[in-house]
Amino acid sequence: MFAQARLAASRQPTKACLRRFLATEVDASVASTSASQTRPVLNTAVILNRSPIITRTPSPFERAYYKYQANIHRALQNPFPNEFYFKQGSPLEARFNVEEQRRERAALGTPFGMQEGEKSEAVLQAEQTIRDEEDLRMPRQHEADTKNDFKDLNRRGQRNLYLALLQKEGDKHVWRFPQGPVNQGELLHHAAERDLETQCGDGMDTWIVSRKPVGVYHPPSPPATDPAKKNVVFFYKAHIMAGQVQHDPKTTLDFAWLTKGELSERVEPTYWESVKDMLSDF
Amino acid sequence: MSAATAAKAPRALSSMRGWRSPPRIRQPLRKDEERLPIPHVDLVVGQTHHSRVGDHYHNTLADDLLYMTYTHELGERKPPRQIRLRFDPDDPYVVHRKNLPVGGDHRQLAQLPPAMTPDNVVRLERIVLHSMQKEAVNNRSSLLGVIEAFRAISGKNDAGGGRAKGSGVQIVHAKKNVGGWARAGIPTGVVVDIEGAPMYDFVSTLVEFVLPRLREFNGITLPAPSASTQSPSSIAGVVSFGLPPDAMALFPQIEVNMDMYPKMYGMHVQFITNAVGLGAQKRAQALLSGFQIPFARK
Repeated sequence: MFAQARLAASRQPTKACLRRFLATEVDASVASTSASQTRPVLNTAVILNRSPIITRTPSPFERAYYKYQANIHRALQNPFPNEFYFKQGSPLEARFNVEEQRRERAALGTPFGMQEGEKSEAVLQAEQTIRDEEDLRMPRQHEADTKNDFKDLNRRGQRNLYLALLQKEGDKHVWRFPQGPVNQGELLHHAAERDLETQCGDGMDTWIVSRKPVGVYHPPSPPATDPAKKNVVFFYKAHIMAGQVQHDPKTTLDFAWLTKGELSERVEPTYWESVKDMLSDF
Repeated sequence: MSAATAAKAPRALSSMRGWRSPPRIRQPLRKDEERLPIPHVDLVVGQTHHSRVGDHYHNTLADDLLYMTYTHELGERKPPRQIRLRFDPDDPYVVHRKNLPVGGDHRQLAQLPPAMTPDNVVRLERIVLHSMQKEAVNNRSSLLGVIEAFRAISGKNDAGGGRAKGSGVQIVHAKKNVGGWARAGIPTGVVVDIEGAPMYDFVSTLVEFVLPRLREFNGITLPAPSASTQSPSSIAGVVSFGLPPDAMALFPQIEVNMDMYPKMYGMHVQFITNAVGLGAQKRAQALLSGFQIPFARK
């Protein structure tokens, strides 16, 4: 609306001059420039999230709670109808019985889950099979964690990670989320997508969650600029599915995938105050 | 004094340990009708393990769904317009008059969903599995197979974990006579409600073992684009679909000893969410989609 009015005014200088000449009280050109000065400069930033990729390790308290509940569950469970689920004397039944006895002994203590009498052929076979089985579990610590590689997407598998870029702002370098300006007439969520690609390259498969921004930041204007000119940054949440950042070394010095705690140590305090509630604690 | 503190210290330490010797029984416990002892405390079984899919919901999906389904509202909502006259006992006109029910369509009109808050983000409340067996009309023991299969799939048992509320697999009885076929009160099928951590375990089993291996399954069929947005199914926030008998064999709990079951059974699966009001079904579909349950157009 404002833009249209201004455009119309610039296209028809004669008419504007005429109006200025006639209307002595209000100067139209002065009014339009003050409006453009107070209108904030829009920016979008993307909080690019890598969701946890492995289950969280339970705390000692949680582990004790789960063990206690599992023991109550076992002590109160209904009798298991063995004869329905297994053929009598089958290897599967022998294996189940061996494993069940071990679980029983682990949960309730030695008088429970003890083998009575001679072990049958099938039971001995099942015990041998269990002994021969390899432990195929993956390690819960990735080598990126031991090397402390902040650029590896496999680091800190249990935690939510966020992409932060080290960029020049004014005369200093700051860590912040990928950010860029909004073009005239562009939708905010389109601008967010475009800015992410401009800053981080097209080597990532990402998904911006919503069309609505999830937060806003009013950066303090640097002393060199006009104090009336305001910047506004709208944040969008996005997920990374595949790929990696290919940053432009001219604009971005470095990038890192950081947890909330690691991010708080790097970013500016004012920036942190406005973004901290949008990030997952875990 | 010092002796008392010295005596207290080891007791405090021992209470920190996971297990200690049970307290001495001073008075025998009361017995129930089956002559089993009734414990002094009300034992309730809580969660026994970490739920991976549950964590995924709380860490990732809840935030995303809040952002996706949020609608901004300014100020308080207007109270809904009262279409029908309400009976007011203080009104002298209606005293001693009959409060007759108003006529017309009694179906509840589709309401707007409640205002969006972090507390009412769409979430899965429970999953209902249901299977109706025709042959149970003539032979009720034919339900045994499907009962055991449902117990294996859901992990639920009658009063399992000492919980009177945990009703396990229930038998569904016919409600009314159907000419020449069913009589009211005869058992016709089974149903089980799954809640909490086992519910998320069921979702992960379904998504990782069953649906990818199911032949000719492109996804849960979405309602036609022309379907009414006011219909009971689209404002209820329930997503339901059917699984053919072949699908039961793909559950790992069944697969391990499939030959012990008389046959494989089909079932209805209903995902019940807290979404209500206009667009509830769409929000429920968005939630399930976040659990990687596929949807397909007709």
